[in-house]
Amino acid sequence: MSVNLASARLWRGVPQAIAAIIAVVALAFVVPADGYYLNILMQAVTYAIAVSGLVVVLGYCGQISIAQAAFFGLGAYGVAIGMVDFHLGFFPAWLCGIGVAGILGLILGLGSLRLGGHYLAMVTISFQQILTLFLTNWLSFTHGPDGIRDIPRPSLGPISFAGGHAFLALCMVTLVIVTLAVWRLKTGRLGRAMQAVRDNELAASTCGIDVFGTKVIAFGLSAVLGGIGGGLFAGGFQYISPDQFSFGESIVLLTMALLGGVQSPFGSLVGTLVLIILPEWLRFLKQIYLAVYGAAVILIMVFLPDGLWGLMLDRVRKRAKPILGEVEKLPLLTQTGQESAEIVLEVKELAKHFGGLKALDGISLKVRRGSVHALIGPNGSGKSTFINVITGLYKPTAGQVLFAGQDITHEQPHLRNRAGLARTFQNIRVWRGMTVLENVMVGGERPGNDVAEDAALVVERALAALDFVGLRGDAHRMVGDLSYGHQRYVEIARALAATPKTLLLDEPAAGLNLTEKHELGELLRRLKGHGLTILIIDHDMKLVEQVADHITVLNFGRRIADGLPREVLNHPDVIAAYLGEPQEAAGVVA
Amino acid sequence: MAIFLQLLFTGLGIGAIYALVALGFVLLIRAASVVNFAQGQFAMVGAYILVVGVNVLELPYLLSMAIAVVLMAVFGIVFAATTYWPLRHRGGLPVIISTIGASIFLENIVLFLYGPSPEVLPGLFDSPGIQIGEVFMDSQYLSILVAATLLVVLQYLIFEKTLLGKKLQATSQDKEMASLLGIPVAFMILFTFAYSAMLGGIAGMLVAPVLFVSVGMGGLIALKAFAANIIGGYGSIPGAILGGLSLGVAETLGASYISVPYKDAFAFAMLLMFLMVRPQGLFGEKISEKA
Amino acid sequence: MILSRRSVMVGTALAAATPLRFARADDTIKIGGIVPITGPAAEAGKFMQNGAAMALEKINAAGGVLGKKLEWVIEDDATTNPGAVLGFSRLVSRGDCIAYTGSIRSTQVQAISPDVVKAGKPVMFGGTNPGLTQAGNPWLFRCRPNDNYSARVISDYGVNTLKKTKWAIIHSTDAFGTGGKDALVENLGKLGITPVLVQGYTNQQTDFTPVVLAVKQANPDVVSSYFTFENDLGIFARQLRQLGVTAPWVGSPSIINTTALNLAGRALFGTYGIADYTPDASPEATAYATEYVKRYKANPDNQSTWIYDGLLILANAINTAKSSDPQEIRKALIAVKGYKGTEGTYNFDEKGDGLRGYNVVRNENGKIVFDKRIDFKD
Repeated sequence: MSVNLASARLWRGVPQAIAAIIAVVALAFVVPADGYYLNILMQAVTYAIAVSGLVVVLGYCGQISIAQAAFFGLGAYGVAIGMVDFHLGFFPAWLCGIGVAGILGLILGLGSLRLGGHYLAMVTISFQQILTLFLTNWLSFTHGPDGIRDIPRPSLGPISFAGGHAFLALCMVTLVIVTLAVWRLKTGRLGRAMQAVRDNELAASTCGIDVFGTKVIAFGLSAVLGGIGGGLFAGGFQYISPDQFSFGESIVLLTMALLGGVQSPFGSLVGTLVLIILPEWLRFLKQIYLAVYGAAVILIMVFLPDGLWGLMLDRVRKRAKPILGEVEKLPLLTQTGQESAEIVLEVKELAKHFGGLKALDGISLKVRRGSVHALIGPNGSGKSTFINVITGLYKPTAGQVLFAGQDITHEQPHLRNRAGLARTFQNIRVWRGMTVLENVMVGGERPGNDVAEDAALVVERALAALDFVGLRGDAHRMVGDLSYGHQRYVEIARALAATPKTLLLDEPAAGLNLTEKHELGELLRRLKGHGLTILIIDHDMKLVEQVADHITVLNFGRRIADGLPREVLNHPDVIAAYLGEPQEAAGVVA
Repeated sequence: MAIFLQLLFTGLGIGAIYALVALGFVLLIRAASVVNFAQGQFAMVGAYILVVGVNVLELPYLLSMAIAVVLMAVFGIVFAATTYWPLRHRGGLPVIISTIGASIFLENIVLFLYGPSPEVLPGLFDSPGIQIGEVFMDSQYLSILVAATLLVVLQYLIFEKTLLGKKLQATSQDKEMASLLGIPVAFMILFTFAYSAMLGGIAGMLVAPVLFVSVGMGGLIALKAFAANIIGGYGSIPGAILGGLSLGVAETLGASYISVPYKDAFAFAMLLMFLMVRPQGLFGEKISEKA
Repeated sequence: MILSRRSVMVGTALAAATPLRFARADDTIKIGGIVPITGPAAEAGKFMQNGAAMALEKINAAGGVLGKKLEWVIEDDATTNPGAVLGFSRLVSRGDCIAYTGSIRSTQVQAISPDVVKAGKPVMFGGTNPGLTQAGNPWLFRCRPNDNYSARVISDYGVNTLKKTKWAIIHSTDAFGTGGKDALVENLGKLGITPVLVQGYTNQQTDFTPVVLAVKQANPDVVSSYFTFENDLGIFARQLRQLGVTAPWVGSPSIINTTALNLAGRALFGTYGIADYTPDASPEATAYATEYVKRYKANPDNQSTWIYDGLLILANAINTAKSSDPQEIRKALIAVKGYKGTEGTYNFDEKGDGLRGYNVVRNENGKIVFDKRIDFKD
């Protein structure tokens, strides 16, 4: 390997974490022995663990959850009921609590199958409320509103955690490990998938990411982290009752995450500390301190958009260095292509109706391996609908799609991508929360890709793809900082990193200026030269003429011509469609 | 049967309260895409203003209400200016959090200013209610039902029959297009906040004689009202009303025939059921994103 | 070199900080207290502070404790359990309190109980859950009768005085309500009675129609109740009367507290309540009421009397012990017998329970009238 890559190192962050563990253990033992500091630190540390769960589900995956206190409570009740009623040890009881929290988290995540945004928020609120009612009213199991007292603390072999300092040390060590794990998650494959889902679900699904599965996992992980924190909370305070895990507490946890900065576990750490300590500092205000706290929340939201951590980071952020060094070229570039007779993509009698509107009305076409096939037609002719049906974003009303001999008509979008179908979007869909490199890495990480299982190779592949489109130097910039045309190249690089069998380009020239269009034409010719199968949709005739081997023309959802470029472009129906008969075109929705 | 009718009446009364608060929610969702977690505190603030008017200044009841409604409109604009306006370009979540901050602030500032004692407000009418057959109709529930109906009719007339209403609708559908058409979008949004605060305040004033006036009176009502919104269909006005009424009836019947302690669970269980089976609610549009 | 300089600096900082901390501790003897200043029970917190202020004045007018003035330092518990834990541990970390006062809410006392054991100093409290003093925590001293007695008094009065046998019990499902309900069912059982209705509800309801209809259907000849929040009690009372239930009603102490009387008004006329404190019950109670009304222009209730008694008993005990040593104070507290307080006559036992009976009172058109005192020996 010729590149040295920080984000791929196995032990990344571990030395710092070990140093942090030593530091926090030392800290835990010098905390004043009287209850106040122990209690407040115990609360801050256990809350911080739960809040890091929100970093995963909300910060990384973009799914709002207002039930973190419920998962926190499940962990706490697991420890309390397990130890007090079932006489389990602390650690088995803790695991039970975490397990229950995790399972319920996964189930809640299933709700995200059909729901997003405010709906999902409401589902989590409902879950939170119902759990509180059960904790309060199911007397025989939860001890009801009395709560559970005299929860013992654990010992592990010769080490006893019965003392306040020792237990605080255990909590702090757990926090360090959790923080390390959450921090590393962000730059790992799963973390990138989550961020892709957060930034643009459709693009994620067409890049091989199982959007639904990723959300469910994010919910599960978040719940598990809540459970971990809750179990320690129960051990720390040795008394729990349902009102400690109420809706209000979920709001507090959410506020902590957002205040600190939901994009980083360090942010959530800062937010938790501030919100635990702030009300304590404000105690001198007596009756009015909660009012001041409420006002402070608003002010923080207004003046600290990225949270406190974002603010700190802005002060110290270093310019990211480009990654130097030779990388192995895209495998595509080692081959030279020839059009063959083999059919890669075959569409039979495809139809898609939106209510009464027949956007596609029985389209058939065949794309041959190694060819550049263009699909053209006036606005509203059904081109974009066509590509959306092919990639699985729309369900067809009738017809069949065969790809590489396989019937993919009813496959999920991410499975089509994994089979080798990659695409770009007309209105650019890059993941704006990530760097250029990370965007392209997600493409390379699609399950089944030759490099997918090795992080270092994925980086190399992504750099190679960026090399190919000429954006290597911008690899570490945030993708949103790039020009429109370059963002389109990022999309193409992302698709190429996935080693596709067929590349679908949805109006790649849209929004580009003349120079950029020219560059795009060059790029497509190079791709064609290496034998990549391309289905391109555009109405820029010049571009299409330059690269296409075969053209299909749609109008009003029907195929009006199909064949070699010269024949098709001279076809009278095509000319009529393009020059337009206004009275016919008038009824079409653009 | 008598019991069922009694429960039905009570359920509708409670449901009308949810519906009124839900209506305030809906308008903000439509006009400004804001989910306002302080909507319940709007009700609380309205009720306290009425307490000041009736119990402290000893003004006539209806005059106090009128003053309170006007003050609520002002309050709504101040609320918008501080909690929504600076965050309007930053998406839904920051605004949600800032309204949560506002709800904490409002509860505690009222606690500080007015003290923790719950206050008693007399009802609009002297009579406690009317007995019809086996069913006792509480006069306050009756006035809530009447007021809710009037407000719904009024709102329909404003939204559907006036130019102001048309402009509001245009704003809620497409802000850019609305501003191109010369509609003062900022004014429309502020107006909506004022109107929404008025609705919340009226709900608080109507419910005050039943629930008493306390700092925490709005919290749970607002949560139920939000649930009513989703059951009815997110952002739908008839949905908010029907959702509120059906929620009130369902939880009252559920409490009586199934379990009282789990009463609050019915509302949320009903919500979960709706979200799983019919996420668009009773009147909502299909949820989908265009590629 | 660097290391040693740093340690010197730390040492200096500590040296500078330490005397500051103890410099003021000598002026007064301090008792720490958690008080609900914010949250739903902030109301009770105000009454509580009134009662405490009166007690302090009385103590200090009589010469204070151990020759110094007594001071009551407070922290907010925000009416939540975590708030109570933090408030209490903040008091403990001051390091200069020789004893504490706790909460009237049982769950809060339960929440701070582990910290009380760690602090190892007496805590006077008002929560009535019987379990609190029976779980082996030697430092908890209760200044109100516990719920076993409330249930015994309610059942005794209802069965033996009112001669009623068809009982309906309405209770909050929180710790207080459930504990009271259980004790009431048990005590009625001992008198050979099974209630016709036992109905729980969750705190902070908007409507009680389903509960009232259940009562109506069960057709009891007496209604008994354990309500936690006055709002709930007020709504229930109004709807009970509206829907035509007229059976006599014997309620737990919340039925006669000032807020409930204010909220429910006419709906509570004619009800019976049990009260740990009522002004007519004893000369001590009357004297307290007269003084309280003079100062605060409001009627006193048990939110203020328990802390008044608690602080006075504590001050006496410290003076008897002639020491601020917690063990000595504890011994002196347990030795308290026959102390006549506003809540009744205190006889502390080893577990820390001081009172064993209640007053029964009647609401006569909004005025609370003393009916009889029922005390038990065990």
